[in-house]
Amino acid sequence: MIRLVGVTKSYTVGDQLVPVLKGIHLEVHPGEFVAVMGPSGSGKSTLMHILGLLDRPTSGDYELNGASVLHLPSNELARLRNQHIGFVFQNFHLIPRMSAVRNVELPMVYAGVPRSKRRARAMELLEMVGMANRAHHLPNELSGGQRQRVAIARALANDPAVLLADEPTGALDQQTGGEILRILQDLHADGRTVMVITHDPRVARAGQRILHMVDGEIVREEVPDEPR
Amino acid sequence: MNLDEMLRMALASLAANKTRAFLTMLGIWIGVASILAIVAIGNGGKALVIGEISGGNQSNVIQIVPRELVAPGLPQPGQVLSIDDSDLAITASFSGVESVNETFYGTAVVQSGDKSDNVTLFAGPADLDRLARFVVVRGHMFTAEDVLSHGNVAVISQSLANKLFGSGNPLGAIITLSGVPLEVIGVAQPEQASLYSLVMGSDNLYIPDTTCEDIFPNWTASEMDVVVQPGVDVQSLANRIVLALNIHAGDPTAFIDSSGLAASVAALVGKVTTILTAVIGAVAGIALLVGGVGVMNIMLVSVTERTQEIGIRVSLGARKRDIVLQFLVESMVITSMGGVAGIATGVVVSAALRALTGIPAFVPWTVGALAFVFSAAIGVVCGLYPAAKAANLHPVDALRYE
Repeated sequence: MIRLVGVTKSYTVGDQLVPVLKGIHLEVHPGEFVAVMGPSGSGKSTLMHILGLLDRPTSGDYELNGASVLHLPSNELARLRNQHIGFVFQNFHLIPRMSAVRNVELPMVYAGVPRSKRRARAMELLEMVGMANRAHHLPNELSGGQRQRVAIARALANDPAVLLADEPTGALDQQTGGEILRILQDLHADGRTVMVITHDPRVARAGQRILHMVDGEIVREEVPDEPR
Repeated sequence: MNLDEMLRMALASLAANKTRAFLTMLGIWIGVASILAIVAIGNGGKALVIGEISGGNQSNVIQIVPRELVAPGLPQPGQVLSIDDSDLAITASFSGVESVNETFYGTAVVQSGDKSDNVTLFAGPADLDRLARFVVVRGHMFTAEDVLSHGNVAVISQSLANKLFGSGNPLGAIITLSGVPLEVIGVAQPEQASLYSLVMGSDNLYIPDTTCEDIFPNWTASEMDVVVQPGVDVQSLANRIVLALNIHAGDPTAFIDSSGLAASVAALVGKVTTILTAVIGAVAGIALLVGGVGVMNIMLVSVTERTQEIGIRVSLGARKRDIVLQFLVESMVITSMGGVAGIATGVVVSAALRALTGIPAFVPWTVGALAFVFSAAIGVVCGLYPAAKAANLHPVDALRYE
């Protein structure tokens, strides 16, 4: 369902062209849990942005659900982000002025879901991540782990097939990180495609496959030996 | 995303920065309020001046004056300069005429003790108060007997009384006009407070016409006031009288109906006032423009502050259109609220003016509606650039922005 063919990405810094991704080939099948590991600067965040349709590759092709997304107009990309992809970020990226439940409703606002239906669905999702009792708190009234739970609920708002998580446990302590990872594993167990970018080997081992990135290339694919 | 949702979002984000939103709104508020106040004053002043000028001829009074009095300059040889008894007789012979009165007016100097003052002198019959539109508020008006007996009596205006006697009692006091002593028997005020009297003051002296003829034998009647019986077509009667007088004088333009003159002067003054209002209104428009620049400035700051939020929204599926509308609606809410507050202030200011000065200041509803539409439009114009800037941010850069 996700297919990258020879994807490259370069940035111009001053008058120099700096390659960040150097020909990525990648296939992720529906229902897979894939981890991407690599040191900082290896291009894994850029890969995530391209996969999440927030950035366009310099060359190569990207197929989502069997169709190339390279030349789609920006409105169509927005629709795909809204309907097919859920983002979970390292720094949670909740909108500070909005309560937890309003944050969870936001993707549904952009999808045009009517208010009452939206609220019910948001509460359901908050319930699922164990945050129903804090639904009306502002993000700054929540702990890091709680914010990430809200962010996951928000990522699931429009029931996307793919969940993209960029260092989802990076800003959390061991135990809270473990709890978040368990939620992601549960989501995978429910059949959702999950891609996690991390440099925490503990998190990476939750994946069915681990892709190791160095200098803009996937250098090694590992299948963790321990059953999860 | 529907409008209702965007409005809620805009209000929430403005509520998060109440002081800032208020101050930004204030710029539009002041601009709209000053434009409306100026339009209101302009309209009121215009109505007042026009009423003043054309109100000079009561609907049932025809005012006829020799042309010389209207068109200054050296009179032509043989031109009629005054109204004489034969003119009065001709006029009185028309059916529909109730009475014909001569009034004199001119400038003169009155003295009381060591004080003197330049006054406008009105002389006429015992119903001069009706013809010259004043009300005797203390003492009494001179009577028909006073007129018959060439009585040395005078009614003076309140402001003249104040000048000559201060807070003392003017009734019974003696003033001199060209060396002739006159007893003050009444104090008068204009029938209605008028802009003219507010601006110019009104030091008026009213005396019987017979007395005036004694003091100023060379004065000639300046105006003929023809009171028309009820139910008579005033304009057509006026035309017929003027025609008859001109035939009598052997000069087709000897006399004119100055009621028409008043109307044309009123129209001219109206035009001038409108132009003045527009010019001052344009200056007030600059205040509104500055307010608009303030809105744009704050919206740019807001876009910068919320760069990361924009990135998050894009990652959640917001289209460019959603981002543009979010900021446009926000700036429109600010300017519309400012517009509404400004309109309310303008209306209150004009009501206060009306109550305090008697100037019939008013805000026409069309101007109010226009002000509202215009302030909303300012929101669009001034919000467009910041909104476009927000929508064109690169999502990845926006997300990473700290």
